[in-house]
Amino acid sequence: MQSSLKTILYQMQVLTAKELIQLTRDVMLMIFVVWGFTMDIFVAGSGLKIELEDASYVVSDLDQSPSSRELIYRFKQPEFRLDGVEDNDAKLMSMLDHGTTMLVLSIPPKFGSDLAKGHNTSVQLLVDTTNSVLGSLAAGYAGQLVIEFAMSKAMEKMRMFTGSGRSMPGVDSAHIMWFNPNGVDKWFVPVTELMTMITMLSILLPAAAMVREKERGTVEQLLVSPLNPLQIMFPKVIAMTAVILVGVTISIFGVLQPIFHVPFRGSYVLFYVLTAIYVFSSAGFGLVISTITRNLAQVGLVVIMFLAPMLLLSGTWIPAEALPEVIQWLMLISPLHYFIDVVFGIMLKGVGLNVLWESVLGLVVLGTAVFTIGLLRFRRQFAV
Amino acid sequence: MNLSRVSAVIAKEWAELVRDRLFLILAFFVPPGLMLVFGFGMNMDVENIPFVIVDYDRTPMSRDYAYRYIDSRYFDFKGYIINEHEIDTMIGRNDIRAAIIIPENFSKHLSDGRRVSVQTIIDGMIPLRAKITMGYVAAINGYFTREVLSNHLSRFLGKPPESVFGMLMPVDLEMRYMYNQGLKSVWSMAPKLIMLLLMMIPPLLTAVGVVREKERGSILNIYGSSVSRGEFLVGKVSPYIFIAMINGLVLWAMALWIFGAPFEGSMLFFLVALMIYAACTAGIGLLVSVFVSSQIAAIVVTMIVSLIPSMLYSGILIPLSSMGPAAQALAYLAPAMHFAKIVDGCFLKGVGPTVLWGPLLALGVYATVLFTLGYSLFTKRPKV
Repeated sequence: MQSSLKTILYQMQVLTAKELIQLTRDVMLMIFVVWGFTMDIFVAGSGLKIELEDASYVVSDLDQSPSSRELIYRFKQPEFRLDGVEDNDAKLMSMLDHGTTMLVLSIPPKFGSDLAKGHNTSVQLLVDTTNSVLGSLAAGYAGQLVIEFAMSKAMEKMRMFTGSGRSMPGVDSAHIMWFNPNGVDKWFVPVTELMTMITMLSILLPAAAMVREKERGTVEQLLVSPLNPLQIMFPKVIAMTAVILVGVTISIFGVLQPIFHVPFRGSYVLFYVLTAIYVFSSAGFGLVISTITRNLAQVGLVVIMFLAPMLLLSGTWIPAEALPEVIQWLMLISPLHYFIDVVFGIMLKGVGLNVLWESVLGLVVLGTAVFTIGLLRFRRQFAV
Repeated sequence: MNLSRVSAVIAKEWAELVRDRLFLILAFFVPPGLMLVFGFGMNMDVENIPFVIVDYDRTPMSRDYAYRYIDSRYFDFKGYIINEHEIDTMIGRNDIRAAIIIPENFSKHLSDGRRVSVQTIIDGMIPLRAKITMGYVAAINGYFTREVLSNHLSRFLGKPPESVFGMLMPVDLEMRYMYNQGLKSVWSMAPKLIMLLLMMIPPLLTAVGVVREKERGSILNIYGSSVSRGEFLVGKVSPYIFIAMINGLVLWAMALWIFGAPFEGSMLFFLVALMIYAACTAGIGLLVSVFVSSQIAAIVVTMIVSLIPSMLYSGILIPLSSMGPAAQALAYLAPAMHFAKIVDGCFLKGVGPTVLWGPLLALGVYATVLFTLGYSLFTKRPKV
């Protein structure tokens, strides 16, 4: 039967409406979708800072001289927090074991007098590195503080030889942070969390909607209807995209901007168009998943199998350039990998298509590829 | 509670699971698979930061200085550029994350005993990465300063530069990394992955398992049978706890033998903790299943209440000490963090129940509350 374009579009419109009705009638689902786009982002954004802050330390100061106190004084907030003084080694170890303190700074006897005499001396720092990121951050900061302290002490002595007025050579660091001049974490976490939500829902919802039809048997009705696979699959994606874009809008204008003051330097139109393309590409993965699974328990597992690596390894929480090369290659098929550049680029950097075209191309190619695979597999999956 | 009825429900549930071949494969394959990907793929260290250098000085000294970055494993050199304005687009396109600008007269000023300022432009999009980069730059500048200074001072002191170099650093910092001497990400990661993966999968399986019966209507058989709700829930959840336990043990073995993490603690204690944790994860799924009526909602809700929080609030990506009060409350409310403490203690610290009874108790309370709530909210006489 030859159907005109008008009919095809009408059929798809009807199916899209059906999907939307089905989705919005599931009250619990809607509550949690809204929760995900608002409260979830709010809690993560207001609570999480990936920085070393208030790392507690205990001091064992066997010297008790002005010099040792000066060194201790340098370990201060916001990075470190002095949590007490303790000279008993066994007690110190048990504090580390219980995790009540993260660092132990031990200053040996005669520390101050050695320094005054110009002898070299040493201090010991025990760092709990069960969390290697936090541990190495703390060790790095502490190392820097001790070096600064030691250099200033050494220079005091050197001044005796050179005279105090003389200038000394040295290299100063002048840092300029772009796009986020104060280095506030307030922006990074909520924006990342928003991307997590978009990704999760855009893979899961289409896959689940498709498999539900299979599980309940309603897919038989669709198969005998005058619809082609594209017409069956596309309305689902359109409906889910609409829901997700509404969620994104609520999130940007209800949470990101009023609460976290995340700037929006680029074009809104470009952002929405590219987000829609991203949701389509991810939904393509969802459709492929729906063709290999038969029930929703399987969908859940397969989605986690794709989603968890995507969320953790695409380059948000963990810098992409530090990952092993194999993983970096694998992440080229993760749409999130491209979307990160798009979101941060448009929101924080204010760049346009001229800069982002590579990422956009990646998204489009990926989306087209997975959609094609999904469509090809759609009929075949029923040829049991 | 009638044991034969419980075992009948277990047998029925187990048969259903075993006969769904794809599901069975996924349930046992996905957690170890993800463990491999994350264990080998997740590198939390900030390394290979792509950067460029603008050298306005072009002297042997400035080149020597530049090589401090080029040779560093923390930086990935992308070349010298002539024009400072290129940095703008390069950072915008994410080609580089930092740029170092060596000023004119760099070597002349230093030889004259004056301080120079080297400007570093850093992409501030991801604050933690930017701060770590700043730390690396400061460390390189500090070391270079010390060299220049020792050359400069050796003339006054009449001593060779090498010995002045030593005098400039009178305090030696002995750093001892406790529990994870090599600062291996994998060591600290692998045990926590057990916690993370068990939080991702069992809640989902349980929630979908119960809701599937609701959605298909087969739960009416239960409503109409002599099985009490307690018997039904215990029978329904047991197979999933069993699957979670098996997964936990497989992951434990992988952490030990594939990733070489040391297991210093007591196996018996770990097994008890694992069992209670597995019950907690299944309990979360159970509680979700009471509230939702569709499997799609079950998947979305469990992901939002268990998968995402377990990544964010369990301390695996973000240190607990730098969380705000709301996020810390969430972290303490979720079982993941308590189990993370137990896992860390058993694996890396080698401490046992005397230290870890607190988290174990918290897990026990958590499981009890979940099952009590699930039990009292589940009803054989649903409204409508």
